[in-house]
Amino acid sequence: MSSIVIWTIVVISVLGLILAAVLYLVAERFKVEEDPRIDEVEKTMPGANCGGCGYAGCHAFAVAAVQNGNLDKNYCPVGGNDVMKKVADILGYKVEEKAPMIAVVRCNGTCQFRPKVAEYDGYPSCKVKAATFSGDTLCAQGCLGCGDCVSACQFDAIHMNPETGLPEVDQSKCVACGACVKACPKHIIELRAKGPRGMRMFVSCMNQDKGPAAKKACAAACIGCGICEKTCRFGAITVTNNIAYIDFNKCKLCRECEAMCPTGAIHDVNFPIALDKAAVKARVMERQKKEREAAAAAKAAANESAASAETLSATN
Amino acid sequence: MNKLLVSPSPHIHADVSTKSLMRDVVIALAPAAIVSIVFYGWHELLVLAVSVLSCLLFEYLITRFMMKKPSTIGDFSAAVTGLLLGLNLPSTIPWWIVVIGALVAIGVAKMSFGGLGQNVFNPALVGRVFLLVSYPSAMTKWVMPQGLFGVDAVSGATPLGAIKEGLLAGQTVPQIMDANGYDYAQMLFANIGGTAGEVSAIALLLGFIYLLVRRVVKPYITLSIWGTVALVSLIFWLASPERFTDPAFNLLTGGMILGSCFMATDYVTSPMSVKGGIIFGIGIGFITLMIRYFGSYPEGMSFAILIMNAVVPLLNMWFHQKKYGRA
Amino acid sequence: MGGVHPDDKKISRNCKLEALPLPPMVYISVSQHIGAPAKPIVAVGDKVKVGQPIAEPGGFVSAYIHSSVSGTVKSIAPGLDMQGNKQTYIGIQVEGDEWEENIDRSDTLVTDIPDDGKAMLEKVRLAGCVGLGGATFPAHVKFSLAPGKKCECLIINGCECEPYLTSDFRTLLEKGEQVVIGAAIEKQILGVDKCVFGIEDNKPEAIAHIAEVIEKLRKLSPKYEGISVMPLMKKYPEGGEKQLIDAVMHRQVKSGGLPIDVGAVVSNVCTALSVYEAVQKNKPVIDNSVTVTGDCLGEDNQHNFVVRVGTPLSFIIDHAGGVPQTASKAIAGGPMMGRPISNLDAPTVKGTGAILFLTREQTARRPQGNCIRCGRCASACPMGLEPFLLYRLGTHDMLDELEKNAVQDCIGCGCCLYSCPANIPLLDVINQAKAAVMGVMKARRAATKAAQTK
Repeated sequence: MSSIVIWTIVVISVLGLILAAVLYLVAERFKVEEDPRIDEVEKTMPGANCGGCGYAGCHAFAVAAVQNGNLDKNYCPVGGNDVMKKVADILGYKVEEKAPMIAVVRCNGTCQFRPKVAEYDGYPSCKVKAATFSGDTLCAQGCLGCGDCVSACQFDAIHMNPETGLPEVDQSKCVACGACVKACPKHIIELRAKGPRGMRMFVSCMNQDKGPAAKKACAAACIGCGICEKTCRFGAITVTNNIAYIDFNKCKLCRECEAMCPTGAIHDVNFPIALDKAAVKARVMERQKKEREAAAAAKAAANESAASAETLSATN
Repeated sequence: MNKLLVSPSPHIHADVSTKSLMRDVVIALAPAAIVSIVFYGWHELLVLAVSVLSCLLFEYLITRFMMKKPSTIGDFSAAVTGLLLGLNLPSTIPWWIVVIGALVAIGVAKMSFGGLGQNVFNPALVGRVFLLVSYPSAMTKWVMPQGLFGVDAVSGATPLGAIKEGLLAGQTVPQIMDANGYDYAQMLFANIGGTAGEVSAIALLLGFIYLLVRRVVKPYITLSIWGTVALVSLIFWLASPERFTDPAFNLLTGGMILGSCFMATDYVTSPMSVKGGIIFGIGIGFITLMIRYFGSYPEGMSFAILIMNAVVPLLNMWFHQKKYGRA
Repeated sequence: MGGVHPDDKKISRNCKLEALPLPPMVYISVSQHIGAPAKPIVAVGDKVKVGQPIAEPGGFVSAYIHSSVSGTVKSIAPGLDMQGNKQTYIGIQVEGDEWEENIDRSDTLVTDIPDDGKAMLEKVRLAGCVGLGGATFPAHVKFSLAPGKKCECLIINGCECEPYLTSDFRTLLEKGEQVVIGAAIEKQILGVDKCVFGIEDNKPEAIAHIAEVIEKLRKLSPKYEGISVMPLMKKYPEGGEKQLIDAVMHRQVKSGGLPIDVGAVVSNVCTALSVYEAVQKNKPVIDNSVTVTGDCLGEDNQHNFVVRVGTPLSFIIDHAGGVPQTASKAIAGGPMMGRPISNLDAPTVKGTGAILFLTREQTARRPQGNCIRCGRCASACPMGLEPFLLYRLGTHDMLDELEKNAVQDCIGCGCCLYSCPANIPLLDVINQAKAAVMGVMKARRAATKAAQTK
């Protein structure tokens, strides 16, 4: 009996030793030498592997950061400036601070504003729907509402609002990885600067139809009237292809454009005080009136001086 | 005119649904069920009814209260499982064992994998095998068919069981066959001991022909099982008729017909390609015979199908149909 | 291999081809063909005649576009096509019906075929002929064989395997002579001895009629030798180019290859007719036959119209009794591959072969169930693919695996979705996956080409 026990112990011990030796040799043989800094950088990364930086994942980002020799092509939108500073410290590179971004849905076409004219009956995917036809409303640029952006988001930061039929970004969760931007076949989602204390302005529409057509498709569409462009004192708004666009680097958040917009296509976010549209509108109108008068006066003066110059030359 | 419907092509659909396919299987099993009730009486009716109803009930309860989804009992698939399970049980079995079998079939083998289409193993067979190993005496207590209103239940062995016992006792196959008075016509038309579903080969084949005519199943899996069984048992039988049973006996007894026509051809647990299906059938036939000839169980169909079920994902990976314009 | 057998439903098979009256306005799209859009060569305010070119090819794979009416060009502007997407349209207000002088408008049959293939090909190009089977591939490009390629058999596609459609069938019956002469012209252009009409055996009248016409014409000229009719089994999609080549020649086009690689050129019946008109009558493609059908239209309102290109759909539908109350889907083409119409005011294009109305009961998607792995999609697939697998890979965006499993071979026939008992949207997902894989393959080809030129 005891010999069996002893034999068992011996066999198992020898087996264990042999296998351990094999494992060790294999591990040695196939060991991959890697820059230890790659591992270190990777550890500071958020580890979401979302691909928001343009690389396949956090490891690929770390490899690229180490190999590039600088951080010009590397920016982790999820970790933001904090993580990038840490990465820069590890590698001894410099990094530029970037304004934090957030995904913004640029469609205002709620069920109420944008009547449906057809009924989609296929696979509930925006991509399939977009390939089938222009959309179940008259707006060919608007949100299709099948939620490709929702399924693309790894951070649970975008959800469909069943009442409006539009996706809504959860500001506390969005890390600006850009997955939803790529997923949207209508390109209505944009990464914009978060703005000071989260305050930002944007044109919530992508409709490029001319005014009447846009208005017919959606009551809240940007009709490309250009009032906002004229109102803006900072040159932040441009209208191209019948659609206004606010440059978030130039916008000073005065909200005058929003007050003047006839269709309510311009939205503000996170402003502590609600906009008193009438008051701002009156103020702007007043200012514009003054400007017009001043311009008229200047013109008149110029005319006068020109006229007097003429008379002068005539008399000469 | 209302809003136009818009969807990608195609815009029409064949007149076929999961429900219609499953309903066809129920219809195909009806002759066998009726024949078994006629032969085994009201107790068989009870077994079938309990089996079907408890399968439906378990599927309803699990989908509604555990998976929190709309119930799927309307698609008849649970009814098919229940019917197959019932036909795989002896008529003398107590009703509560049937309920346990249904719970294992639906709860463990089907719904725990995610429901219809997701299961690896045939639910009815898992239920049957579970009962076979858990309640061996109840599962092997056979009576001879005594008719609808018969009262003189005579207990007897199934032909395969008798062969196994006889061989263990040192008899030869022809001796056992003579002693029990088996003949093939009897086997074909019923009246041999066994589970309800094994009782009448003709009724089962009738149902299978219905499935073929309705194009619910394709015949290649079944034919490949039969071919393998016939060929392999012919070789063994020619080598030693004393020790091994002949091909016709093997094809007609046990769960061969029920298994090859209705269980092995189950969509979910059989390979998708023709080549894969043929190999699947060959495997089932071979394993069945090996269990019958050399195993300790007299019958091997259930085990053979379950073993081959496990190979199906591999077969699906290895064998594909020929693509147009590609080698 | 594969295929399905949907109910035939050729309700409009006995309705004669009838010319539709001229609409008040036509809107002619500049991209009615595969390839680069045509460039308009008229200006707003110009007077145009029927058959006058109004747009020239925008590239090699492109086609001429002609005015289908006479009148004044009112607009050259973006408009909405049948799916609501923007296209550039040339809007022409109809004033009278004045044709270009060189067009022979008589009904006389011109059976003498010129010898010069090159000149005929140029005529085909100038007439803006495109494949009218649905793909609208410019005909002159198809007929200009690449050097080293030899055509062994010209196949005239008269299958019309889609349910409901009857315009090809009516064309075969009523303009059989013209179609056969057109086929002989194509034969001459390609320099091929053999020409086969592939017609499904559910159209025995057409088979008999074409056989008779060929017999008659053969007596006139040796140029009609080698033309024959082959009855084909009724099966969808027998009229798919690759399936037709397999059925007629028993050869299979390699994945990514062209029919000419196996010595075949396939041309539709209506294309052959347009080639006849272009070469023998100097008439460019300005009209095509459009079936207006559907069970809900009622028996009296089934039509096979000959429609001027650019006629608004609503104008055609009004002439067929308006949109029926019970209709809930309008389809441009057949029920298996036709595209859904969301904008009934859109104009027709050269490739518009039918307007089909289906009721909600006939067409609405049924609730999706679990895949029961029955394999019906795979046995229905005419390309031998495994749609159930492609669907699963497609929903997970596994592009490498998709390519390995030949998603790029999918012809989009819809047999898989048609036959799926669980109503899984197989084709919807596969189409997306195919587009993605094709994109990857294209990028890879471009990369290897760039590497080679380096």
